Amino acid sequence: MIKNKVINILQNTSDISHYEIGVSVSKEKIVTLTGIVEEWKDVVNIGHLVANVKGVKNVVNDITSKDVNIKEVNNDIEIKATLDKGVKEECDVVIIGAGISGCSIARSLSKYNLNIIVLEKNGDIGEEATKANNGNIHPGFLAKPGTLKAKLNLRGNKLYTQLSKDLDFELKRPGSLVVFHNESDVKKFKVLKFLKKTGLGYFIKSFRQYMKTPGLKWLSAEEVKQKEPNLRGNPLGGFLMTTMGIVEPFEVCYALAENAIANGATFKLNTKVLDIRKTNGAVNEVITNNSVISCETVINCAGVYADEIAKMVDDKFYTIHPRRGAIAIIDKNRKGFLNTPSGVLGRSDRSHNSKGGGASVTPEGNLLWGPTAVETHDKEDKSVEASDLDYILNLGQGVTDQVKKNEIITFFSGIRAADYKEDFIIEASKKVRGFIHVAGIQSPGLAAAPAVGEMVEKIVLKQNRLITKKLNYISTRKRTPIFRDLSRELQDELIKENPNYGRVICRCELITEGEIIDAVNAPIPATSIDAVKRRSRAGMGRCQGGFCGPRVLEIIAKELNIPHTEVTLKGGDSYVLHKESRS
Amino acid sequence: MKIIDVDVVVIGGGPAGLAAAIEAKKQGTKKVMIIERDTSLGGILQQCIHDGFGLHRFGKQLSGCEYADNYIEELNTYDIEVAYDTIVVEILKDKTVYAMNKTDGIIEIHPKAIILAMGCRERTRSQAFIWGTRPSGVLTAGTVQRYINIEGYLPGKKAVILGSGDIGLIMARRMTLEGIEVLGVYELMDSPGGLSRNIAQCLVDYDIKMHLSTTVIKTHGNSKLTGVTVAKVDSNRNVIKGTEEYIECDLLVLAVGLIPENELSNQLELDIDPLTRGPIVDDQFMTSMEGVFAAGNVVTVFDLVDYVSLTGEIAGAGAAKYLKNELDLKQEYLPIKSGENVSFVVPQKIRLNNLSEELPLYFRVRNKQEKTEVGVFELENKIYKKRHRVVLPPEMIVEKISTKLIGEINTPLVVSVKEV
Ligand SMILES: Cc1cc2nc3c(=O)[nH]c(=O)nc-3n(C[C@H](O)[C@H](O)[C@H](O)COP(=O)(O)OP(=O)(O)OC[C@H]3O[C@@H](n4cnc5c(N)ncnc54)[C@H](O)[C@@H]3O)c2cc1C
Ligand SMILES: Cc1cc2nc3c(=O)[nH]c(=O)nc-3n(C[C@H](O)[C@H](O)[C@H](O)COP(=O)(O)OP(=O)(O)OC[C@H]3O[C@@H](n4cnc5c(N)ncnc54)[C@H](O)[C@@H]3O)c2cc1C
Repeated sequence: MIKNKVINILQNTSDISHYEIGVSVSKEKIVTLTGIVEEWKDVVNIGHLVANVKGVKNVVNDITSKDVNIKEVNNDIEIKATLDKGVKEECDVVIIGAGISGCSIARSLSKYNLNIIVLEKNGDIGEEATKANNGNIHPGFLAKPGTLKAKLNLRGNKLYTQLSKDLDFELKRPGSLVVFHNESDVKKFKVLKFLKKTGLGYFIKSFRQYMKTPGLKWLSAEEVKQKEPNLRGNPLGGFLMTTMGIVEPFEVCYALAENAIANGATFKLNTKVLDIRKTNGAVNEVITNNSVISCETVINCAGVYADEIAKMVDDKFYTIHPRRGAIAIIDKNRKGFLNTPSGVLGRSDRSHNSKGGGASVTPEGNLLWGPTAVETHDKEDKSVEASDLDYILNLGQGVTDQVKKNEIITFFSGIRAADYKEDFIIEASKKVRGFIHVAGIQSPGLAAAPAVGEMVEKIVLKQNRLITKKLNYISTRKRTPIFRDLSRELQDELIKENPNYGRVICRCELITEGEIIDAVNAPIPATSIDAVKRRSRAGMGRCQGGFCGPRVLEIIAKELNIPHTEVTLKGGDSYVLHKESRS
Repeated sequence: MKIIDVDVVVIGGGPAGLAAAIEAKKQGTKKVMIIERDTSLGGILQQCIHDGFGLHRFGKQLSGCEYADNYIEELNTYDIEVAYDTIVVEILKDKTVYAMNKTDGIIEIHPKAIILAMGCRERTRSQAFIWGTRPSGVLTAGTVQRYINIEGYLPGKKAVILGSGDIGLIMARRMTLEGIEVLGVYELMDSPGGLSRNIAQCLVDYDIKMHLSTTVIKTHGNSKLTGVTVAKVDSNRNVIKGTEEYIECDLLVLAVGLIPENELSNQLELDIDPLTRGPIVDDQFMTSMEGVFAAGNVVTVFDLVDYVSLTGEIAGAGAAKYLKNELDLKQEYLPIKSGENVSFVVPQKIRLNNLSEELPLYFRVRNKQEKTEVGVFELENKIYKKRHRVVLPPEMIVEKISTKLIGEINTPLVVSVKEV
């Protein structure tokens, strides 16, 4: 049945009908595709087409394209090295990946008497999608009704208020504004209002998500002007989603991890999962570059690599197709120019599968433009291209034409880990006991993170009803002092207590030596210049580390007691200095 | 919190701040204080170990450090307080200055006059719009200079330099001497950004090639820089397709320009000149706020430190006069405007009553021109002229105008450069 439908659609879609695509369907309704096509975009198009066929649970897309060359990963040599080394460890739960998903799950599970190890291949947590996103706690309005991400988005958004209090990270709720310039849009939004007020929207499936979203407001032209006077042109009206929040995403990720550590979880950085071994249909051992860890539960939150991790236990029923998103940050001179993340109806390219984008704001007050959405075959492709910036400028300048290109202080990319159903996959493996999938966590993965943790917690509890709660669970966490936020009097006191807070290292963001030393000695130590930046903001300002880079490098070297030449920008072999000149 | 009262506070102890403090003192100011965030005085000069400084000022070629030392020695003969390792973090509109350091904590300073001398900063990678990944090995020229000259480390083995500003040129030579292979200097514009003498001494003498109308469009490598893509650009600075070339290197040095350091000026909401990107100043180098002066690279980026010192002296003297109530603060300003082929003029406005015998004008041309004449006009009336064999955008022009001639008619002065 499904197979015929799939073949049918492949044969009847122009552009791709000439390709020979192999189709097989499992009894779980997973479709596996094989074949060779000309371009990568065809691979992605075919994957999406098939995933949309009614009844298809998911798609494993093994089609290759002639324009790209994807290397087969083979970890055999490294696995052997670990086995030879013979280091063995034990725990109850292994979490693979310390992004926002893994850290949220670690915190949720750290309430229980469980021995938890979080494995992260990078030298720092949150270094992938989690550090490179818009930081929006979406209201949940735009998510496709009926999807898991729609449900978890709403729930996550709600949980953020308490979470930010418990974990002492900054959460603002400026709301999110969509403005319109066309009479027809004014009408559309009037209809929406009617549907919402009367409750009639519940009867229309495509409106259901929107009916569930709390805190919606309709603004007149004057109210829009009053709220955001610097918007381009004269919008005819606006639609305000008051529950939209903004956070510094890394800060949230870090707070979750730190709290999990306070409750006994262990984080192992620079530790890459190479293989997972099963016995009798249950997970048994996780092999990393450092050791072999025996455990009962493995939670796969490996972001773009989640499909490869699933393959290790022979339960790969989805393919992750990376989608790059570029973002630009505007100089702080524009602080207050826009206070509500805003978008203009009809401006962003809604044909793609990611959140609309426009002009957002960071908690610090910088304008943030983007993101783009570009399908790429390369899971490590964090580049920004000229075409990305053109798109971003178009988005941003649709919102306000006063901010100019030369006010951008930095731009960067992150990669969304999308599957072909374009939804989150969070479930216990049906094939392997103890293995839990947390995959396809693309946007709104940040907004949903607290709910993802909650959901996985339930799955784990269901699998093992004997798990007990910790008596001494610590539910809160306090951050180290943030010098720039204190009053002059308190700053003075802090310096008297610890003179290191009296020397400014990052002049743009007013970050002191004390804060950098705190970052290097944090529970998850910052060992690279970028890691220090994420924890302390040193280097995030307009000179982008030009001034403080050498000074931060020196502090890292001193605190970690390593030579200057071993300090990296971002872990791995990203050394900043080659050698001493006077040796 | 420590509270201090002073007559003049100078923010920044580079050549501009040193000259300003000395001059303010010489002119009879009682309490002069310099606040410097570094542990020593001299500013950027401390990392300039090459020579070529002071030709105008001292009549000989000094290294940057030697040039600064001359001033520091002079400073030491005066009773001028210097707060080292102390950074100014905020200035309120009532002129309260907040500074901080490790030993005193927060310091609240109440000065009668302020001289801003914070220097400039370098433009970054994003400001140059280079695409691609963000690996290590992409550094500004000033940072490379600091690593090599002050800290004693080499940041790479094979370098490409983007931008032909003076610091880039000087670093081309410096890196070559240190054994880093310099693969070329790439310049977006169709003419070099640095002084001709630096091109001769730093590139030609070392066989380093300069590629004009060519730029770095992309960096490669996810972790450590593995190479860059360069490409030619057309007259509109758009990349010409098909001219892309990959160059393997592990260091990209950015010498893509300097911008006045104006965090503090912005806090004070001083009027900023969009052309210089520094505060608008008058003949005393006083900004749009009475009693707040500015000198050196804070005002506009100078290419010779000699001129920086001069502006420091003017501002220092101005502050002293201000404190002695010798300045007319009421008279209408006469604007000074950029005419033909002039990209900016400093000072931007003058008060006739405050002028001394000579008025120095600092300006740059937009385009290279040969056989030219600089003219200063009051309407049709040419009150000053000077011939130049050639004028180039990177080389600042300084003309000293006899003030007797100014102000016959009450109209703006216009500075123009024309072919003759
Ligand atoms: C441009 C952009 C903008 C976005 N904007 C928003 C937004 O505004 N709001 C929102 O809610 N969401 C947004 N998102 C989505 C959000 O960023 C992600 O959904 C979220 O960060 C995913 O977190 P994660 O922990 O699942 O994945 P990741 O952060 O990618 O973490 C996965 C981790 O697993 C590790 N790993 C992988 N393989 C292995 C292995 N073999 N061994 C050990 N470790 C491994 C990785 O190193 C990584 O640290 C955006 C995404 C992008 C790209
Ligand atoms: C990297 C670089 C290399 C250069 N190389 C050459 C060269 O080779 N030849 C040449 O002729 N010119 C060169 N110049 C230009 C020349 O050095 C400058 O013209 C001159 O140093 C400018 O003097 P200044 O006093 O205005 O600024 P600076 O020398 O930059 O001094 C500014 C001082 O202010 C201090 N400061 C800034 N902000 C604060 C604050 N908030 N609180 C306290 N203190 C503060 C700084 O620490 C610094 O000491 C170079 C400039 C740069 C940036």
